[in-house]
Amino acid sequence: MGIEKLLFVTRFEDLSFDDLKPLLELRKAGLNHIIFLNVIESEKVRLQRGVGFKKAEAVRLKEIANVRFIDWAETLFEQGLEVGVYIVVGNVVEQVVKAAKNEEANLIVMGHKTKTRLQELYTGVDISEILERTHIPVLIHKEPPAPLRTDMHPFQRPLLATAWTPASLHAVEFLKPAGPVIEEIHILHVADKDALNGDSAMVVQETRKVTRKKLDEICTQFTSMGVSARGHVHIGDSLREIEQAAQEHHASMVVLGMSRRAGWQERWMGSIPKTLMDRLSIPVLIVPADEKPEKL
Amino acid sequence: MTQTILLVDDDPDVLTLNMTVVEENGYIPILAENGEKGLEMAKTEHPDLIILDILMPRQSGIKMYRAIKLDETLKNIPVIILSGIAQQSFQKSQETLAGFSGSPVPEPEAYLEKPVSPAELGSTIRRIIGPAKNE
Repeated sequence: MGIEKLLFVTRFEDLSFDDLKPLLELRKAGLNHIIFLNVIESEKVRLQRGVGFKKAEAVRLKEIANVRFIDWAETLFEQGLEVGVYIVVGNVVEQVVKAAKNEEANLIVMGHKTKTRLQELYTGVDISEILERTHIPVLIHKEPPAPLRTDMHPFQRPLLATAWTPASLHAVEFLKPAGPVIEEIHILHVADKDALNGDSAMVVQETRKVTRKKLDEICTQFTSMGVSARGHVHIGDSLREIEQAAQEHHASMVVLGMSRRAGWQERWMGSIPKTLMDRLSIPVLIVPADEKPEKL
Repeated sequence: MTQTILLVDDDPDVLTLNMTVVEENGYIPILAENGEKGLEMAKTEHPDLIILDILMPRQSGIKMYRAIKLDETLKNIPVIILSGIAQQSFQKSQETLAGFSGSPVPEPEAYLEKPVSPAELGSTIRRIIGPAKNE
């Protein structure tokens, strides 16, 4: 299954139509349907003592979102794309999960704002929960978005960091249908230096050789599709090495697999994807393991 | 036999309003909340008229309209587009899709941009399918 249907989750101040435009390049890889989702957080229209349910406010906020989406939709319809819209009041995670499942989306696109740990705890969107419940890859854009580079779209030069987990391997499978829009892919494995028992050069060389061979096998899968692919072995701290490799290879996005166990253990806070989002200016695509999603 | 009108819109308030207009004018309404369900109902119910929104979940009115007009058994059902999407964008999208598939579709019998008054909707329906026939 390619990336045919994309769920674009926006509060408007985080992701704009300009952030969607580069992703339309995926049309060459089968994208044909864009779903817009705007969630009006319940707090904004909550029932309050002495105030009552702010129905008029909910209607007003919905109409404001609707006007914006109509404008975006007209542009996309004219290009021959299929477009759908959800404007709902509720919890962001719940509504993203609901819309993604209802639409059977192949990719979710969301914004991420750097927050303190406390802010994250109270107002943050738990990406790991969305991954856990939908099993749909999530592409996270930095908020505020990095300056638009019209010559680069996220799938143009992805850096795929693999840990050989089922989620990492699923990330490879997920990226393959996007081959027609990938210019060059860099595949990175970061070996933990603490895991290299022994102090001889042989241990390090052996690790590199084995890893290199596995990377070459993945690279071959992409080169056979006409996509330029290069494997890289780094040794050290995962976070630092991924960050460095992304900069070194001028990556357009970082792709990570997130296993169920790691996702729930680390949650979103303190996780590698979140820290990368905080540090890098490019989007991060998180791909869950290929498992069945929960039923609604 | 009293004419049936299929109303396709994802907004429950709009659906209720349109249903009231249809009933007050003596027709029988049937409802669908998106293009996918609307197309299914068009196939099973064969309504006398379809009033179709464009921007909906699951399947847009653009796609449903094409499906109706390219289906030999449904293509003669008249359609009123009732949407916030501009008529010009609707036409351009149909031209683009026709370019992809090589299958052009005719224009809808009427195109009403939201919001419309109950009187305008009622008169448009009567113009297209005539007054309600009482059983």
